[in-house]
Amino acid sequence: MAAAPPSPPPNPDVEAGTVSLFDPGIAEKPQPIYDTLRERLPIARAAWTNSIVISRYEDVVWALRHPEIFSSKMDLQLALGTERPMIPQQIDPPAQTRYRKILDPRFSRKRMAEIEPRVRAHANELIDAVIDAGECEFDKSFAIPLPCTAFLGLLGLPQEHLDLFLELKDGIIRPHQRTTDLEEMKQIRAETGQRVYAYFEEVIDDRTAHPRDDLMTYLIGAQIDGETLSRNEVLDICFLMLLAGLDTVTASIGCTMAYLASNPQQLRKLVANPGLIDATVEELLRWETPVTSVPRVLAQDVTLHGRELKKGEMVSLLIGASNLDDGEFESPSSVDFDRERNRHLAFGAGPHRCLGSHLARMEMRVAIEEWHRRIPEYEIAPGEIPTYSPGIREVLYLPLVWKTRG
Amino acid sequence: MAEAAALRVTVDMALCVGHGRCYELAPEVFGEDERGYCVLLREAVPESLAGQARSGEANCPEGAIRVERA
Repeated sequence: MAAAPPSPPPNPDVEAGTVSLFDPGIAEKPQPIYDTLRERLPIARAAWTNSIVISRYEDVVWALRHPEIFSSKMDLQLALGTERPMIPQQIDPPAQTRYRKILDPRFSRKRMAEIEPRVRAHANELIDAVIDAGECEFDKSFAIPLPCTAFLGLLGLPQEHLDLFLELKDGIIRPHQRTTDLEEMKQIRAETGQRVYAYFEEVIDDRTAHPRDDLMTYLIGAQIDGETLSRNEVLDICFLMLLAGLDTVTASIGCTMAYLASNPQQLRKLVANPGLIDATVEELLRWETPVTSVPRVLAQDVTLHGRELKKGEMVSLLIGASNLDDGEFESPSSVDFDRERNRHLAFGAGPHRCLGSHLARMEMRVAIEEWHRRIPEYEIAPGEIPTYSPGIREVLYLPLVWKTRG
Repeated sequence: MAEAAALRVTVDMALCVGHGRCYELAPEVFGEDERGYCVLLREAVPESLAGQARSGEANCPEGAIRVERA
């Protein structure tokens, strides 16, 4: 008699106290795993990276508000092709605060409203390209290009550089799509990082000689305490924007659309009540939490739930799990577009609150408004199953179909 | 005639980090500064704006807003 095939280890493995954050299963349907973690393993160990995984809302929000304990100074342990920490994400207050003071005004809701018409026009061009076909693979056709065009517009870079930027960000974020060898991945990241630096060096030279009304020119001239930013400081800000501004919004739009395509009742409710769009964006940011966790490193020893955690240990704050905590949310497992209280942490909290949150919200709202205005009924192509990437939950394969007119 | 104040709103600016939920949901009670941080437009809120004030409080991820009976 043949032995039964070994069953895969449970995730999380409560007995071992571990969780795999890079399992395909957790990317596709993370909610049940989050529930087990919060209830039974509020402090878990991540398989592979061995970082401490914190999942309860009150713990996560406390950690996010105490950068003197949960530091963002990663010492390039999570090196993504960078030579220095990215600004302001990988540095702590008070230095971080000084950078945020010059960056926040450029990413305010008011500023984002200025580029909204351009994003809306792009959204419509992307829809124009697929609407008559009655089908598309949503990630490639819409979720990937839309944030890239918004990003290029924001920085003042030419739209023709779209493909170049997509290649650069994939070289940094997804070298595993090109190789399985860890050393080779490192190599790809380092080489791509050099190309990113070189690209922005050229832009800095150009804007220094020919100032324009754009973010790059602003950064070159920006002052902190009477001193202009150094060239490296400008580069370290640009690197972060490239890494943080593209995949995250792609994932957020994809997760939102995948949810709606799979839940026809909710889709009909939204289409019948466009006034719910803002609340839908918030509720699906909570439920899906496309950016599942944020990394920190312990700057000092700390005791949590009776466990002693040591200075220097890496921590993953699992905001996706905290967003489903019934200690904070009423009926957290029901997706409710009429939810009255929603203090979700999809954009983090505390001093490192996502700089691009107003940009992301605007892009998500515009995407949902325009798509549903023009294609109000759609579904996942019959027989197909969407696939998600772990960590940042991009819906890599999202085949949608709809009826065409006439 | 001005409406009587029904609620008193306070914002702990040491906690605000500019999520912007308050001025999005309750634009007649909360505004924004240049950085996108909260600016309290009125401390005393009439009954007609009570819903807005409470929505701002209920959706601030930092718990920076407090709404009490006047």
